[in-house]
Amino acid sequence: MTTRKSDIEVQKFADHHVITQPNPLRKILRRVDDTDTDDPVARAEQALADLSGEFKEWMGIESNRLSAAYAAILDQGFTKVTRDEFFRAAHDIKGDAVTFGFPSAGAVAESLCRVIEHAPDLAKVPPDLFTHHINAILAIVHEHTQLDTISMSGELSRRLRGVADEYLAHVNRDRPEHLEAVMAPSITPAD
Amino acid sequence: MFRIDFNKLRFLVCDDNPHMRRILRTLLHSFGAREAYEAEDGATALEMYTHYVPDIVITDWAMPIFDGLELAQMIRQPEAKGNPFAPIIMLTGHSEKRRVTVARDAGVTEFLAKPISAKGLYQRILNVVANPRPFIKTKTYFGPDRRRNPNGAYIGPERRVGGEMEILQQPSLLDKARSGV
Repeated sequence: MTTRKSDIEVQKFADHHVITQPNPLRKILRRVDDTDTDDPVARAEQALADLSGEFKEWMGIESNRLSAAYAAILDQGFTKVTRDEFFRAAHDIKGDAVTFGFPSAGAVAESLCRVIEHAPDLAKVPPDLFTHHINAILAIVHEHTQLDTISMSGELSRRLRGVADEYLAHVNRDRPEHLEAVMAPSITPAD
Repeated sequence: MFRIDFNKLRFLVCDDNPHMRRILRTLLHSFGAREAYEAEDGATALEMYTHYVPDIVITDWAMPIFDGLELAQMIRQPEAKGNPFAPIIMLTGHSEKRRVTVARDAGVTEFLAKPISAKGLYQRILNVVANPRPFIKTKTYFGPDRRRNPNGAYIGPERRVGGEMEILQQPSLLDKARSGV
């Protein structure tokens, strides 16, 4: 459903053009009766629920990937390749963990992402800061079925975030743009 | 009430994480989509974009080779052979406001912060289908109008120059449909 060039209208102004085109997707929008009971969102939520039996295994794969990425750093040091894979592995957990039912692991991964992104020199970050984050994620994932660990994992993620934020505030004290980013609130609601 | 005929839409999904691709595929198929092509990095996505000419692109940000931001910038080339106008929904774990601004300035149409939800994805798709924004081309930008709430009284930085006509109101498709136009 692309638009022919002849359908595109361009209005020229002093420093910009405004380009309008007929909406090529308008034909796929249809009016339905208010009594229509079809609910595509509910259908998709049900499909996601049907898939949820696989989430624990997926989370295990993701946390092992993070562990392997850090092992590569211990072996090869921080290179662009090892740093990027470490960040992506943590970032994927940050994004996926809530969907997979592991919100505390997501919070720990977010804290780890902030350290990777905002530490001025990753080689100088205390190794314990990395290993505590990684071990926390592994523990949360592997102990997930024990109900009494839920509040503990929440407390663990909050403490790690506190330690990481304190470290980032200290090492970025002369880097205002990073300090601002570290202090800025998230656009996603806190738990 | 309006519904989208998802079976007439062609999607391109770009995410390096196979689990997230599976979730997106599940959601899109549940909505009714039949055509959802998948790429695991920006370079492959760009090739598929040219080949399959999708109606809507859903992309992650952080990916190997080149990322979702670079993919958006490459799609938004007004002189490119492919369609530079396709809606781009960025689905990402980044949740900082400055990231939204960077994505917007790369020509991204909608920003959806993870965790993903069926409702959030459906609303973004509905928005790009029913409320397309005009495109703006300047020396440094080509993409959907970054002003969602045009304000004629705006006098701050990066103000467009052009007199009375500089801000164009485009009635949404929903408004048009409701008024019977």
